[in-house]
Amino acid sequence: MNATTRRIKPLPPQVALLLPWGVVYGVFFLFPFVFSFVLSFLHYNPLNVESTSWVGLGNFTRLFGDERFIRALRNTLFFVVGTVPVTTTAALGLALLLRGRIPGKGAFKAAFFLPSIISAVVISLLFKLFYAPNGGLNNALSLLGLSGHGWLTDPRTALAAIMVMDVWSAVGYYAIIFDAAFAGIPKEFYEAATLEGAGFRDTLRYVTVPALRPVIAFVLVINTIRSFQIFIEVFVMTQGGPLGSTDTLVLHLYEAAFRSLDYGYASAIAYAVFVLSGAFSIIAMRQFRPRLRSGA
Amino acid sequence: MMKTALKIAALLAVFAVMAYPLVWMLGISLRTGDGVSLRYFKEVWQTGPFDRYFFNSVVVTAIVLAGNIVFCAMAGYAFARYKIPGGRVLFFLVVSMIMLPKQVILVPLYILMQKMHLIDTYAALTLPFTADAFNIFLIRQFLVAIPPDCEEAARLEGAGELRILFRVVMPMLKPALAVVAIHTSLINWNSFLFPFILTNTASMRTLPVGLALMSQGAHSVDWGHLMAGAVIASLPVVAAFLVFQRQIISGLTSGMSK
Repeated sequence: MNATTRRIKPLPPQVALLLPWGVVYGVFFLFPFVFSFVLSFLHYNPLNVESTSWVGLGNFTRLFGDERFIRALRNTLFFVVGTVPVTTTAALGLALLLRGRIPGKGAFKAAFFLPSIISAVVISLLFKLFYAPNGGLNNALSLLGLSGHGWLTDPRTALAAIMVMDVWSAVGYYAIIFDAAFAGIPKEFYEAATLEGAGFRDTLRYVTVPALRPVIAFVLVINTIRSFQIFIEVFVMTQGGPLGSTDTLVLHLYEAAFRSLDYGYASAIAYAVFVLSGAFSIIAMRQFRPRLRSGA
Repeated sequence: MMKTALKIAALLAVFAVMAYPLVWMLGISLRTGDGVSLRYFKEVWQTGPFDRYFFNSVVVTAIVLAGNIVFCAMAGYAFARYKIPGGRVLFFLVVSMIMLPKQVILVPLYILMQKMHLIDTYAALTLPFTADAFNIFLIRQFLVAIPPDCEEAARLEGAGELRILFRVVMPMLKPALAVVAIHTSLINWNSFLFPFILTNTASMRTLPVGLALMSQGAHSVDWGHLMAGAVIASLPVVAAFLVFQRQIISGLTSGMSK
């Protein structure tokens, strides 16, 4: 056996090393995951355990006929489709702005990044006040001579208001990611483009964006997955109202489980979220997967 | 240059948009009925009881952090250096854990904790989160790029495996562990959904949960106190960010330039 092959160790070290994670993973993740799957085929009310029964696909078919689920689904989809592209594009734009020699670049980056590390609860409360009838936004509008509005009390504007808040809190984080990615684009690409007489827009289209494809895909995926799970904002700010205009899938899940005590149905909703966010992520990733498989 | 000037103007505008709400929040928390004072902070600290919430957040985050550093270093090291039967599959399972919406295990985890009589305990708030897959992924990737020479040398000198891990590997892992520490503390400190579900009594709540529930009170909301609570909840994170800025940003974007 020469010194460069990895020696295959007798079992104990690997087992010992993986054991803590293995236990946590098995007990607190894998088991609940499988249990959730099983639950979704049951009717299970914790206060009436004797009534537990197998309903097969009953919970899932119920989803299709459930007005609330349809509404939550619609709102969540609207949220995802409305925020993910906007946040990603704005983040790219910000990263572009940060390119080159800018005085105080560090301070700018810090300021942009800050909202994304603050708790969603804090941000939700902050904006709840900001959007209040006598809150910051309306005050600013009245200074400009415009009339205020019940941003969170009007079913037509509530969800949009929350979406704006979401973009505000997330854009900096992704901008910093793009900014770091820019640093990885070889200068030669840009030099070649300039030599060919490419202007700003062409360089953007033919050099920058293609080079960033994997990062854009990554950002789209994590942003999509995160957005499908929106809960804190709607729970804290509007509790799904007004008139269910901000009801989301996870909020519906939460209430099905902990208000209606219908654990089986809640699990079905959870799996719906899982499948949907997975599907959307795969679609997003497909769109932006690096197409070139050069030998370089 | 005109272009740079325009850029800076735009950046300043964005800066203002980002900073304004946060500064405004601070203002509300300080503007008590009688001028500017820390009255709201004192009151919410004592009667919130935000001192309790703060304590809980610190304890929970510390435990989860310690757990992650040890358990994930061990697992990452195992995946990087050892041949494991079914290792590929196992690692794939690890990675898949990262992508999964956590809500899928929300209800079963709650039921599990209930059956184990662990609701309202630090155990429930910490144990499930002590081995985050993302950290294992980070550590493994980090280690794979480093040749195992130091470890081999130690092995030849007769050091046991465990000793190699802690004496040789851990120090080498410092940069990766820094990222793990930052990432884990941040996510855990701000975590809401699971701590919310897994606690029933005020004395066991963490800051985000306490804050959220305070705002849901039946009586009309007292924004001054609420914003003071919000500032308390955010202060450690903001302070840590201002100090560790570079590490945080570089850590979260590590590997992005690929």
